[in-house]
Amino acid sequence: MIAIIGAGPAGLAAAISAAQSGQHVLVLDSAPRMGGQFWRHRDFVKGYRSEKAVEIFESFRKSNSVSHISGASVWSVEKSQDGFLINYLKNGKEECAHCEKLIIATGGYDRALPFPGWDTPGSITAGGAQAMLKGQSLVVGEKIVVAGTGPFLLPVATGLAEAGAQIVGIYEANNPLRWALSPFALLLNLSKFGEFLHYRKLMRRHGIALHFGKIATSFVEGEVSISKVRTRSGGQIIAADAIATGWGFMPDLTIPGIVGCNQKVDRFGNVYCESNWEQRSSINNVWVAGESTGIGGADLALVEGAIAGLSATGARIELRLLLRRWRLRIFAKALQRSYPVPKNWTSWLKPETTICRCEEVPYQSIEDSIRELGAKDSRGVKLFTRCGMGLCQGRTCSRNVSEIVQQITGAEISDAERLAYSNRPVAAPIPLGILGDGKKN
Amino acid sequence: MKTNTYVIFNGNSIPFNEGESVAAALLRSGEESLRETRFHGKPRAIFCGIGVCFDCVVAIDGVPNQRACIIECREGMKIESRP
Repeated sequence: MIAIIGAGPAGLAAAISAAQSGQHVLVLDSAPRMGGQFWRHRDFVKGYRSEKAVEIFESFRKSNSVSHISGASVWSVEKSQDGFLINYLKNGKEECAHCEKLIIATGGYDRALPFPGWDTPGSITAGGAQAMLKGQSLVVGEKIVVAGTGPFLLPVATGLAEAGAQIVGIYEANNPLRWALSPFALLLNLSKFGEFLHYRKLMRRHGIALHFGKIATSFVEGEVSISKVRTRSGGQIIAADAIATGWGFMPDLTIPGIVGCNQKVDRFGNVYCESNWEQRSSINNVWVAGESTGIGGADLALVEGAIAGLSATGARIELRLLLRRWRLRIFAKALQRSYPVPKNWTSWLKPETTICRCEEVPYQSIEDSIRELGAKDSRGVKLFTRCGMGLCQGRTCSRNVSEIVQQITGAEISDAERLAYSNRPVAAPIPLGILGDGKKN
Repeated sequence: MKTNTYVIFNGNSIPFNEGESVAAALLRSGEESLRETRFHGKPRAIFCGIGVCFDCVVAIDGVPNQRACIIECREGMKIESRP
């Protein structure tokens, strides 16, 4: 049997292409419904019906050889004699699944940067605002600032506006002229212009202004401070009851890490899971697809998933798929190049700004642990301050802590440190008793 | 959307729609925060919205640290703002 972890675009594409062989495919996913973050929309939410999603869900349901377990939080994967044992929790109960081959498509999540007030109600990640809207038809505020970087801010802002919110402005930290660095990527992906024009039309309809080179540096008592990213000048105060911020995405590499798949660091400091031309990881009989192999979006995830599914069943991989993946990966790299996180982002932190939301660790404690106690990396800071030891296991703060240490000490972040903060021994919180009882069925 | 299904949040009945997450039902009903933090008692609501950040954790039917953003409401579910 082939097991797939994740029922987003990559996992579903993998399931459909693997099922063509007639082999039994099992898809495990933590959400109540398939679709992942990208296709989490419900049909009743205006503007979010996707023909592609309908088509994929249909072929998934029609296939006799795929089964889907929803609400399954995979917390570990072990090697067994002839394959893998996947341990997961469903409705709080411990369950196990066995497979010979494993495809990992666990996706990614928003990168969030701390700023004064980011831990107060009304501050949400861009992806979170989108998830509440698409999945729950809930608009997170009446007057909303959208800030950060990347093209994802456009669908978030226009989606919220279509749903009735007033978007005070989109504050994009980078300058669009950075695209001049990637002419080849643009030429290869002309359809992306069409997407931009679509969002521009919606922005005009709702009177949303897009500001470049500007950032939101605080959100306190219904006021957002905006300043220029380079000089921090031009301070402007805007009234808003919510702020949605997004700084790109990070892959969730926990499960590839637990399985032992090789990971690497790209030149932007992003960690990703290594894969070969067939999406095989460094571990025999384990494939990786989608955001785990580097952030690239849903279109790329679909292609990578399809290739992984074909490879896992020994089917021929069409050249068309490989070309499409090549083209989309070039675009994904260009996105990284065009929308970097500002190097000086830590300068908008105040001594009392929360850095670790779970353990409520302020910036001052981190600075003290570096300057006075001699912490040299995020692990050192963690031992002194508990930063990253809370329920999210450092998913939100540990990369930020590494960059704070870098800003203060001037030392480069080692690849080993980046790999360490991207991995954790258990993928989802479990009751301690489960680790102890050794029950296997 | 009309509904006649309810969850109990800190003792109060809150209506929900079929398939709605705990976080969405509570925020829609006008709740501004889902819990207060352990050390400083600061209000927290939802942040990542997809089950990654654990900011929205509540106790559900006596089980602590459940993510309100990914758990769907069930009739009569007892939700409490405590760690």
